Amino acid sequence: MSADLHRQQVLKFLEVFYSGDIEGALARCAEDIEFLANAPVDILPHMGHRRGKAAMREMWTTVNARYSEMRYEVPILVAEGDKVAAHIRVFFRKRSNDRVMQFDIAGFYTLRDGRIAEIREIIDTFDLVQQVLERDVTAVLTGGEPDGI
Amino acid sequence: MTEHSLWRFSRAFHRAINERQFADLEALLDEDVDWAIYGPIDLFPFFGSRRGKAAVIEVIRQIADNVRVRRFDRESIMLGTDSASSMMRYSLTALDSNKPISLRIAHFAQFKAGRLTNFRVLVDSFDLVEQTVGYPIHLPRMAV
Repeated sequence: MSADLHRQQVLKFLEVFYSGDIEGALARCAEDIEFLANAPVDILPHMGHRRGKAAMREMWTTVNARYSEMRYEVPILVAEGDKVAAHIRVFFRKRSNDRVMQFDIAGFYTLRDGRIAEIREIIDTFDLVQQVLERDVTAVLTGGEPDGI
Repeated sequence: MTEHSLWRFSRAFHRAINERQFADLEALLDEDVDWAIYGPIDLFPFFGSRRGKAAVIEVIRQIADNVRVRRFDRESIMLGTDSASSMMRYSLTALDSNKPISLRIAHFAQFKAGRLTNFRVLVDSFDLVEQTVGYPIHLPRMAV
């Protein structure tokens, strides 16, 4: 299949996933899908490594439970062969206090037989942790006031 | 077959960092290049956004003042017509402490007429900060 088709498949996957349709997103994944996001799993335990649809469903259900609204933009997308890389800017609204988190994800997708077989994500994890915990971690490290942000 | 712009940029970029030779890189940057490395700018002043060739050369000088590249491996790469993306593992040396730093990054590059017009770098920054301060950062676990 062409890179153009894979590009469309990833864009459709992102549209379905960020609409909150977990089963729709899973339908676009291979049974043995592999997911890896480099993240401090002691702080963000739902991230890290996952394999298979059941594990993905569990992770995405956790995400959906925490955020009432998810929006996204894809400023850059590069496709070659069976691989697609997307720079994704996401906006998550927290259910707990309605605050909106905004962060960027580099998503690397490998497709097999028209389905997503592997997802690797690189995230500015320091910023993500600060927004999730609402703490100014830089201030803690530099000896400033460790106030909430 | 013409060589993809990414390879020329990559060679020039690493030469600039390790040998402080900036001329090759300067020739490959668009005058209005849009550049961003996502990460904590309070801890790493060479992170953040820059606009224009002069500002980008200056920030690469700052990076060269701080680190040397020992090794890099591309774990994934995609080449488009005028764009490219890689996921990479870098082994760096921090020049002030001589400490090794292992860093995972992703980049997205866009080119026009062989020159870099847009460059976005995402860094697994929490891991980088822990390596830089030299101890694990203990924070509350997020409720699941």
